[in-house]
Amino acid sequence: MNPLEEFPLIQVLNEEGQLVGDRSQISDDQLTEFLRWFTVLRTLDQRAWNLQRQGRIGTYPPFSGQEATQVGVAAALSPEDWLCGSYRDWAALIYRGVPLFYPLLSSMGHPAAGYLPDAVQALPVQVVIAAQILHAVGLAWAAKLQGQARVAVSLFGDGATSQGDFHEALNLASVMSAPTVFVCQNNRWAISVPIERQMHSQTVAQRAVAYNIEGLRVDGNDILAVYQTMKRVVERVRAGQGPVLVEAVTYRLGAHTTADDPTRYRPRDLDERLRQGEPLARLRRYLLAHGIVSDEEVAQMEEEAKALVDEAVRQAEAFPPSPPESVFDHVYGELTPQLREQRAEMARRVSSGEPGGGRRG
Amino acid sequence: MAEYEWTLPDVGEGIHEAEIVKWRVAPGTQVKAEDPILEIQTDKATVEIPSPVEGRVEELLVQEGAMVRVGTPVIRFEVGKGEQNPSAAPVGRSPGTAEPEPSASRRRVLATPAVRKLARELGVDIHEIQGSGEHGRVLAEDVRAWQVRRDVKVTAPAVPPPSADIRGASSEEGTGEQRIPLRGTRRAIAEHMVRAMYTAPHVTTMDEVEVSELVALREQLKATAAARQVHLTYLPFIIKAAVSALKRFPYLNASFDDERQEIVLKSRYHIGMAVDDEEGLVVPVIRDADRLSLWELASAIQELSQRAHERRLTRDELTGSTFTITNYGSFGGQYATPVINYPEVAILGTGRIQKKAVVLENDEIVARPVMSVTLTFDHRVVDGGTAGRFLNQVMRYLHAPLELFMEMT
Repeated sequence: MNPLEEFPLIQVLNEEGQLVGDRSQISDDQLTEFLRWFTVLRTLDQRAWNLQRQGRIGTYPPFSGQEATQVGVAAALSPEDWLCGSYRDWAALIYRGVPLFYPLLSSMGHPAAGYLPDAVQALPVQVVIAAQILHAVGLAWAAKLQGQARVAVSLFGDGATSQGDFHEALNLASVMSAPTVFVCQNNRWAISVPIERQMHSQTVAQRAVAYNIEGLRVDGNDILAVYQTMKRVVERVRAGQGPVLVEAVTYRLGAHTTADDPTRYRPRDLDERLRQGEPLARLRRYLLAHGIVSDEEVAQMEEEAKALVDEAVRQAEAFPPSPPESVFDHVYGELTPQLREQRAEMARRVSSGEPGGGRRG
Repeated sequence: MAEYEWTLPDVGEGIHEAEIVKWRVAPGTQVKAEDPILEIQTDKATVEIPSPVEGRVEELLVQEGAMVRVGTPVIRFEVGKGEQNPSAAPVGRSPGTAEPEPSASRRRVLATPAVRKLARELGVDIHEIQGSGEHGRVLAEDVRAWQVRRDVKVTAPAVPPPSADIRGASSEEGTGEQRIPLRGTRRAIAEHMVRAMYTAPHVTTMDEVEVSELVALREQLKATAAARQVHLTYLPFIIKAAVSALKRFPYLNASFDDERQEIVLKSRYHIGMAVDDEEGLVVPVIRDADRLSLWELASAIQELSQRAHERRLTRDELTGSTFTITNYGSFGGQYATPVINYPEVAILGTGRIQKKAVVLENDEIVARPVMSVTLTFDHRVVDGGTAGRFLNQVMRYLHAPLELFMEMT
């Protein structure tokens, strides 16, 4: 088997922003709307980076470069479908309806970022690598048992596919025919480890063969390819034809997190080449070239994005702070006696200003 | 108008201190929010700091080169009313803010950057000076007057030295000595040199080569170089000569793996070139030098040197060399004993070209341009015979550059 032939890269808009496939399932208006979202998300992501540098939020994992996959996946879902993502998947969550200030609040360590609005069918972001893949299988299986026509989608990175959880999830979903879509955002580096150093397989998609489920490889920087592919996949899975593994080949434009410096492990010439196909520039180029949007409209989108992000920063910074002792509040429904004691002791230290009390606010 | 003081946050995950590498603003600079104001270096990365506010820079509270603890105020802005520090400062929300450095609470001194620089140069602690300018501003003449008074006291009994200054260099009063903390590039160089010198037994061999043909060839190519907007030095020729010789002597294009006690022969020719910079020595790497033409080498050298001086080299451009060349002649030396760029096993040094008396076959003595060459090698890997034969081969190419063309692929 030649995996690269078995799992050809699905592409509709190439790196230069030229149409090389069928875009019949997607209107001009929808594409314009995607560009508007990309602009807002990119602005937010870059501002979040700056906010960390300014000391206004803590560690932040940027998603720039992965907007096409995340937005394309989220857009292909119905409101009742589940979305289970990781810490880098705020773009998908925001597209689904989570307010823009949530990722900022999350990086401030605020527990409120763990409660997503009720209207959004999604789990809070998962930091444990690959855990959310299993959660999605559980949700999908439950939906199937309850006779609901819901699918569960899990977003995860290439590094997560080296975890046992990934394989357990694919195995269980295939055995139970749980309506799950596994979307691997292969951004080629797991922090600093390049993909060829963590798997011997040529593609992630070919791993579907082992579980006898369908595997697909799509250009993850091409919103048209991701959206149209996901639309078809989600319908098939919803119809009960078993789980699907989608490998979205993308590229993380920035660092792993604000604590990382990718110039230490990504060769400069390779980095320059891979950024060529990034999703925002690609879509904008296509839309401008075909007169679907004008330069003025693009400039206006950027202005609007800045205003929205300014407002999000204001909301996050004005959010009522959570007292330090609230770290005890969200694991047990009822605290154990020891934890209750520790909580009281911490609250006392915080209010008396003794060492070990942390800072209020 | 109001003030906004910005304190150094944890820019990584659990960073305790960072080095102030470069200020991008000065007192008086108008900044917009998100404009770059500062570059700092942690043990993990060099990080650019965007301005947290819109306003005018009032004062830089720490100097370039200083090592600063997280939580220390580093810059003060004059801002519109809406942007002054709220009672719960934004930094309070970021995890890991530490206690401010005690010295940061020292009296704040009014002085222009030029005066601060002067004080640094004279080894004077500006905090000890009573300024005579408006609002106690320290002026250049205050610094000079203070220095004179201090130096007069040299004969007086020694006074206890002031505690080490977080703001960079400190002077030990009375001794006339200046103490410079070892930081950044300097510290990296120091560590690297000690490791190289005390791990690899160094031996240096030296010779001279008559280079009239090379000088003439470069002269001849100068017009073309100018047309191509390339600065053509001797270095591309030296690199070509070295690479051609390395192909015949693979043990010199190698590294020593201490851990596994193995000699690693390299199949590619990545040549490090030592660049002297005011920050110290850096060694950018020309990858696959054997596959580049002389013109391509000249352009690569030019670009890397420029990026080195702008301190814009990426880690990728600074690592992976298999053999290093140092042209100490560019700053005047005739002979030197270069230190190996460890774990490589040899380094070629080239001296300044100057006219010397050369004895011809017929015993006639003529003045000819002569270049000195030195080769330092790791005697664990390379023996004197191999080193000598390698150096002879390099000299042969430099003496008769036409032979280089015969080697080209």
